[in-house]
Amino acid sequence: MNCEHCQELISVYLDNELEQEVSMSVQTHLAVCAPCAKMCEDFAMILDFCDLDETEHSLPPNSKALWCRINNLIETEISSELSHKVKEEPAKRSWQFSFAQVFASILGIALVSSLLTVVGIKNYSAGDVSVNTAPSLFDRALGKIGIIETPQQTRENRVKEQQSAIDYWNKRVAAKRANWAANLREAFDRNLNEIDQTVFEYNRILQENPDDDLSGEMLDSALNEKMALLREFSEL
Amino acid sequence: MLLLSVVFFFASSGTLEVSAQKKFSRIYPASKNVRLQLTNRTGTVTVEGWDKDEINISAYLEAPAANIEPQSLSGTIYINLVKDNQGRTEVGNVNFLIKVPYSASVDIETRMGNLNVSSVRGGLVRAHISSEGDITLTNIGADNVAAENVIGDIFYDGGVQSGGNYRFTSTRGNINLRIPLNSSFKLVATAPSTRSISLGDFGNSSMKFVSDGRRVVGQNGDGSATISVTNQRGSISFIRR
Repeated sequence: MNCEHCQELISVYLDNELEQEVSMSVQTHLAVCAPCAKMCEDFAMILDFCDLDETEHSLPPNSKALWCRINNLIETEISSELSHKVKEEPAKRSWQFSFAQVFASILGIALVSSLLTVVGIKNYSAGDVSVNTAPSLFDRALGKIGIIETPQQTRENRVKEQQSAIDYWNKRVAAKRANWAANLREAFDRNLNEIDQTVFEYNRILQENPDDDLSGEMLDSALNEKMALLREFSEL
Repeated sequence: MLLLSVVFFFASSGTLEVSAQKKFSRIYPASKNVRLQLTNRTGTVTVEGWDKDEINISAYLEAPAANIEPQSLSGTIYINLVKDNQGRTEVGNVNFLIKVPYSASVDIETRMGNLNVSSVRGGLVRAHISSEGDITLTNIGADNVAAENVIGDIFYDGGVQSGGNYRFTSTRGNINLRIPLNSSFKLVATAPSTRSISLGDFGNSSMKFVSDGRRVVGQNGDGSATISVTNQRGSISFIRR
C-alpha cells in the first residue's frame, strides 16, 4: 500500500468501517510509515476532541449575537465598496498605453506566472519527507516576499498545533495519574523529562540557528514522541 | 525449635511467592499468516516463532493480577491489557511468553517493559514501548519492521527484504542493527546529539555524512528496501551479519 492510498483510507479506518483485510494493510503501512502515522494520529485526535463534551465550552456564549455582528460587518463592507465604485464611475479613463507600459506589464505577467509555475511544481514534487533537504536560495527568496511559507513559519505553525495537542493530553494525564502505581508514575516522569530535555535542546539550537532544518525535523519528531507518550499513558 | 521456625519461614515465603504469581495459558489454532496484536501495560513480552500452526500464550501475572481476555477475530489474536484493565488503580506486571507460527505477523506494544521477538518472518514485526525498556528482535525475516522506545536499547538481528521498510526510533539508548552485508537498502540514519553513527562494513562511497555529521544518507546495493534510524540522544551501529 502506498502513502496516497493509505491517507485516503485513514478516515474510514478510524471509523472501523474498512474490511478486515484492507484494515490490516492500513495498519501495516501505519506501523512503518511515519508521515501517515502522524496524519492518522492527527485525525484520531480531532475525532477524540469532537467526542468530548468539552467542545461545548469552546462555543461562543451567544452565537446569535455573533452571527448578527458578522452580518453587520459584511453589510458595512459591501455598502462601502459600492459607494467607492459609484464615486469612480464618472471619471472616464483613457485606455491608451505607451509601448514601455505594455512591455512592463507583459514582463510582469510572465514573471508572476513563471514564479507560480515553479511554486506549483515544487509543491507537487515535494513528496518524500524522510530526507530533509535545506531550502534553496530561491525558496528563501520566495519565502521572504511571502509567495510561499518559509520553513520557519511552517515549523512554528506545526509546533503550535503540537503544543495544543500536548496541552490537551496533559490535562487527561493529570486527571488519571493519581490512579497509577508509583513505579509507573516514576517511569512516566523519567521518560517525559528525557523528551523535554531533547525538546529544550532543539529549541535552543533553533534559536541560535533558525535555518538548521535537521534540528527542526528532530524537534518535530520529539514533540510527536511526547504526544504519543502522553496519549498512551492517558489510556491507563 | 530454631530449626522448626527456619523451616516454617522458608515454607511460608515459598508459598507467598507461588500465590503472588498466577499463570494464564491458552492455545489458539492459527493459519500460517496469523497476526498477533498485543498491548501490555507493564512487564516483559517474549514472542518466539515455531513450526506449528497454533499460537500458544503463557502469561505470568504478578499481584494484583491483571484481567486478560484474548480474542480471536478473522485471523488475528487480540490481547489488550490496557483496555481489559482500564480504570484499575493497581495492576501487577504481566510477563508473556507467546509462540507463533514462523510466518505470523507480530504487532506488540507495552507501556513499560522489555519486548523480545525471535524467529518470525511474516509481513510485519512491530515492537513499540511507550516509555522505557529494551527491544530485542533476533532472527527476523519480515518485510516491515518497526521498533520504537523512549529510553532503552534496540537490537535488530535479521534480514532486509527487497522492497521492505525498516524503522528504528529511540530517544536515549543504543541502536544496533545486525544485517547481511549483501542487503540492498536506502539508509537515513540520524544521531543528532552524539553524532555517533558507525557504519562498520557498510561504509561505502555512496554513504555520506551530512548536517555536520549528525546524519548519514546513502545506499547499499541497488537500494530496494528503506531503513530509517533515529536516535535522539544515543548511538547507532551497523554490524555485518
